Amino acid sequence: MRLSRYIIRRLLLVIPVLLGVSIFIFTLTRLTGDPVAAYVNEKMTFAQIEQVREQYHLNDPLPQQYLYWLQGIIQGDWGWSKTAAMPVLDAIQYYFPATFELAVISILIAVIVGIALGTRSAIHKNKPFDHATRVVSLIGVSIPVFWLGLLLLQFFYFELNLFPVKGRVSDSFIIARTLPAGPTGFYTIDSLLAGNFALFGDVLWHLALPAITLSFGSIAVILRMQRNSMLEVLSLDYIKTARAKGLDESTVINKHARRNALIPTTTVVGLSFGALLGGAVLTESIFSWPGLGRWSAASITRMDSASILGFCLIVAFIYVMVNLIVDILYAYLDPRVRLG
Amino acid sequence: MTIEAPQSSRFIDDFKAELKPRLREFRNSLGLIRENWTAMMGIVMVLFIVLMALFAPFLAPPQTAGDPMQIPADLSLPKPPFQEGLPLLGTGGNGIDIYYGVVWGARTTVVTSLYVVLTAALIGLVLGGLAGFYGGKIDEIIMRFTDIFLSMPALILAMAIASILTKNLENMMFALIIVWWPSYARLIRGQVLSVRENTYVEASRAIGCKRNRILFKHIIPNSISPLIVSITLDLGAVALVSASLSYIGFGVGPGYAEWGRMISDGQRWFLSTITYNGVSYTPWWALVFPGLALLIFTMGCSLIGDGLRDILDPRSRRG
Repeated sequence: MRLSRYIIRRLLLVIPVLLGVSIFIFTLTRLTGDPVAAYVNEKMTFAQIEQVREQYHLNDPLPQQYLYWLQGIIQGDWGWSKTAAMPVLDAIQYYFPATFELAVISILIAVIVGIALGTRSAIHKNKPFDHATRVVSLIGVSIPVFWLGLLLLQFFYFELNLFPVKGRVSDSFIIARTLPAGPTGFYTIDSLLAGNFALFGDVLWHLALPAITLSFGSIAVILRMQRNSMLEVLSLDYIKTARAKGLDESTVINKHARRNALIPTTTVVGLSFGALLGGAVLTESIFSWPGLGRWSAASITRMDSASILGFCLIVAFIYVMVNLIVDILYAYLDPRVRLG
Repeated sequence: MTIEAPQSSRFIDDFKAELKPRLREFRNSLGLIRENWTAMMGIVMVLFIVLMALFAPFLAPPQTAGDPMQIPADLSLPKPPFQEGLPLLGTGGNGIDIYYGVVWGARTTVVTSLYVVLTAALIGLVLGGLAGFYGGKIDEIIMRFTDIFLSMPALILAMAIASILTKNLENMMFALIIVWWPSYARLIRGQVLSVRENTYVEASRAIGCKRNRILFKHIIPNSISPLIVSITLDLGAVALVSASLSYIGFGVGPGYAEWGRMISDGQRWFLSTITYNGVSYTPWWALVFPGLALLIFTMGCSLIGDGLRDILDPRSRRG
């Protein structure tokens, strides 16, 4: 099968999953109580409430209600977020860049560190370095994210005063109104584009602790996968051939082995992105990071289910898309996949 | 004339007979675990927490009548650990006894994880078995369901379900079961599909065995060992997610003996300074001890799970 046909087939397979997710979320919205409650206040008469019911098609059978609801979702009506005091979709747009920047930086850290450590521990199998990384990955998969975040905060902020306690930038930049209005919403990129290096440094300084906290679990997963696939590749015949024909070890490792070992690792990167989005809820709450995660965690205490369900819908969408991209990338890297 | 036993009980007997050698194999494997020192370490860690859960009433006897899961509190400022005349691990926000909370919290964690994982595994076993064995439409429907549930990260799916329910421990467990069954259904289905292709299954079909008999005699017993590995690993994972849910505000209320909840209660004090007997302290203990207990449990589960995976896969053992 050609790659383009594979991509089209995978895209078509995503549609039923997304529809299923939307039906699931819709069912949850209808289980939270009478949906008319979102549109009425205590001054309305019963007749007026009935009118609202009619207006929003809430007297129709459920399947039809679902279609109207889906239409609303597609047209941008995601309900009202009590927590953010704005429509849910506006809140998502408002909080999204902060979360996305944190997630991208964290996954970058996880990929770079995880692959480097995984490759090295495969080369030094059962040597002290391998044992040390095994301990790191064991702690990474078992430590509670929120606990790690709190410990880092207490140590680096409270004891050593090395890193800031909250937010994306220092207050001085907010007061001086030098925040970039830039095109991407990523403070790192926007500040560089604006040529403001002091701000760029400040943004990185604020990113450090949350990004390390968030990436720790993913480092463990990626490290394990890279180690295993590297060990498998190193036992293959073509590596023996490469060594036999007298190539030096670094060429064998870097040019021959690691490239092929990276292929299976790409799939876990997609999967750990999902865990990362879950971890963002905890990490953002701890570091007062003004993103989607903190917003949804705040929604929990206010029983604001419209916000929580909106958050879940967007996360499911992102997660499905990321894994779609990873699958396509995988097929591109490993032509054998397309044949299946 | 002989009286035939009813069909269903014959299947159960078959199933038991088939399970016996596998349990023996499992016991043999457990013998091998003694040589695997990391898995042994995991067993010690999990045993430590489980014993704490079992003997909580003796380790930390409740002082008053009423719900023993509510941590006793003297409504004062936090006090440091390891001091004369104070609770062993100090007190946290509202003066809750940290030692008492850690001990009784073991109960919450162990019970929650076991309950969630075993229920999810049972549901997954039945649905995954049906999907894999009968195939066709049933398979299609069940698998599309799992697709939907698996397209959301575990913590966030649990948040979505818990958000529409009253906040309490039972509802949190319910949400976690809904999150966890699909991965078991997938696992069992895959296992059934691969076992079904074996020649011995074909042979029993050829001699005219009924489908149910094949399912109970061959397929389920041969799918047990990956299930055991998965259950062990998930006990830790469920403990992590349920503590996370409690931490962000689902599940139990303040002052309840649950480690995630205790960490979120302790968080209010950990960036401040208190003075006790003229010495200044940062109340780190209110969140370090519950977190440490949780880490011991999750780490233990993951060590045992990894060890079992190596041992129960005969290819990796005898290869």
